[in-house]
Amino acid sequence: MRWKPLLAALGTAALLAAIPLLQRALGFSVYYLVFLYFIFFWVAQATSWNLFSGYAGMFSFGQVAFLGTGVYTVAILIMRYGWSLPAALPVAAALAGLLAFTVGWIVFRLRSLRGELFSLFTLVVGIGGGYVANSTPWIDGGQGIALTRVGYPALFESMTEYLYYLGLGTAVLAVSVAAAIQYSRLGRGLFAIHDDERVAEGLGVPTFRYKLTAFTINGLLAGLSGGIHAVQMNYVAVDSVFTLHFSLYAILMSVLGGTRHWMGPILGALVIHSLSDRLASAGFSELQQVITGSTLVIIILFMRDGIYGRLRDRLQPTLVLMAVTALVQWLALRPVDGLTLLTITVFVALAMLLLPPAVYDRVAAAWRPRFSSGSGMGSAL
Amino acid sequence: MWDTALSLIQTAIAGVLTGGLYTIISLALSLSWGVLRVINLAHFGLVVLAAYMTYQLTQFGNWNPFVTVLATFPIFLLVGMGLQYFFLRFRIETTPSLLVTFGLFLILENVMKMIWTADFRRISFAKNPYFVSSISVGPLVLPLLLLLVFVVAVVLAVAFHLLFKKTHVGRALRAITQDPAVATAFGVDYERLALAFGGLATATAAVAGVFVGMIYALYPSAAEPWIGISFAVTIMGGLGNPLGALGAGVIIGLVEAMTQRVADPSVARLVSLVLLAIVLLVRPSGLFRPLVPEQ
Repeated sequence: MRWKPLLAALGTAALLAAIPLLQRALGFSVYYLVFLYFIFFWVAQATSWNLFSGYAGMFSFGQVAFLGTGVYTVAILIMRYGWSLPAALPVAAALAGLLAFTVGWIVFRLRSLRGELFSLFTLVVGIGGGYVANSTPWIDGGQGIALTRVGYPALFESMTEYLYYLGLGTAVLAVSVAAAIQYSRLGRGLFAIHDDERVAEGLGVPTFRYKLTAFTINGLLAGLSGGIHAVQMNYVAVDSVFTLHFSLYAILMSVLGGTRHWMGPILGALVIHSLSDRLASAGFSELQQVITGSTLVIIILFMRDGIYGRLRDRLQPTLVLMAVTALVQWLALRPVDGLTLLTITVFVALAMLLLPPAVYDRVAAAWRPRFSSGSGMGSAL
Repeated sequence: MWDTALSLIQTAIAGVLTGGLYTIISLALSLSWGVLRVINLAHFGLVVLAAYMTYQLTQFGNWNPFVTVLATFPIFLLVGMGLQYFFLRFRIETTPSLLVTFGLFLILENVMKMIWTADFRRISFAKNPYFVSSISVGPLVLPLLLLLVFVVAVVLAVAFHLLFKKTHVGRALRAITQDPAVATAFGVDYERLALAFGGLATATAAVAGVFVGMIYALYPSAAEPWIGISFAVTIMGGLGNPLGALGAGVIIGLVEAMTQRVADPSVARLVSLVLLAIVLLVRPSGLFRPLVPEQ
């Protein structure tokens, strides 16, 4: 069990928990809290996707169905039946988990739905969920649901703060579960299924049970995170909830970061969301999607293992580079918006990680002869 | 009583004819998945792009809309060959191809949004008089465009079928579908064949685009409703089976049209997905036989 990354993550979580208090004290823009909420949201989504699809290698395109179930459950319970958010969230998670369990139960029984046919089936569930929600007046019926006057506990200064902590909690939960699975028998079984399902079965791995368990957990976490997101969205409509893009981004973030480790989706979420947030705020949302699509293509072509492995090998140089980049921006480009600074720093680091091992070795050797690159060894986990 | 029966037949025929459009759109997906083992999601974006090109040429270039295919077909032939070269060069297998082409689709959709904006674009009736033309067959009224779409769909399906079954090239294609390595051992030039066939399959997008441009109002995400339908047609028809794709398209078009009579339009859209789900669960190889049955 690798303690260092886990301790780093927990330490980060503690720091993150302190940020709203800092915001209250120092009064910087509340937008930072919103930005971080979205990071937490995507971390939860990508992690929940990854702990089944990434570990087991069966790519589900149906993430949006779980998210949508969570969103609509909360929206309906709060607005139509007067429930409170803390009461509605477990139900949202449970229903999404139930959906995952049902779909998984049907699909995993069938040997014929391997590989791309499984992806296709989950794609259908994702798209179909939207159509069902749209045509059932009891759910949405094309009207959408506006979440107005949702209360938050007096402990928090604003709804934004409340959502921040809910999001942080969910992200921490998702990551903890993913890490726990990774180092457990369930995780080893899933990785075995990834490598070769038939061999895994021959070796005694209970593939049906493991797949169903992981897939259900995927649904539960995605539904929980979705339920919280309903409040963030404020106005819930089929067109904005049941879009393929939610599924795609969860997949992209996990693949970019690295699918075989719980850290991967976190890295991916950080990279992708900071880019999309900055570009979207600047009004370049089409360009942002072009870049997102290109990133997916490049990663699949050149770095199918994702950036996590390379980050581990090149950790020190990358951190140094990030510190230098942040410093240079702060000194040379004042006044600089914190989020833009972060994004540029992240991207410089990303560029460093994208360097092919051959190029990196030469650069590292030239820059600091005593740096060992070690880049060839770290990708396999 | 006679009126109801008549309108029922009218709806059924409209559904069957629309199935022709579904077939044309889905043909490339079925062929590239069945023969080349690549799932090309970008194809949907390419159909919309071809439709936009038809729109541009017709609306601003004063071309006859049908003639635009002469310009778009070669373009998409080259695009298809380029794509196939890309898949071959990077040795992209089926599952990664789903992700890569999804990325390409995203890029394509947004480039189109940047060029043509998200506004609806429709060829004006002045330039597209075919839109409102119809042919009367006895008491039935058949929209001209739908009729043409169906005829073209049949022609394409039969053409590919004959290609596969009656020509040397077709036999080579079936060989590489069955086992590329062994086919190469028997002297089939896999790469050249894959490039040519990939180009041809994608070029059907040009044909689809002409009709889509003439029938529908265009917007960048216009392809998204067809993704579900096309997968349904592809799987139901059997991978790589052009006549199967035609049959599946007709079935789906028919069921959809009949469902639309009795229920909400959005329920009708569910039809293809439900059919697809059932087929995937019960008979994933397809209602019709795939081009090369799995060993």
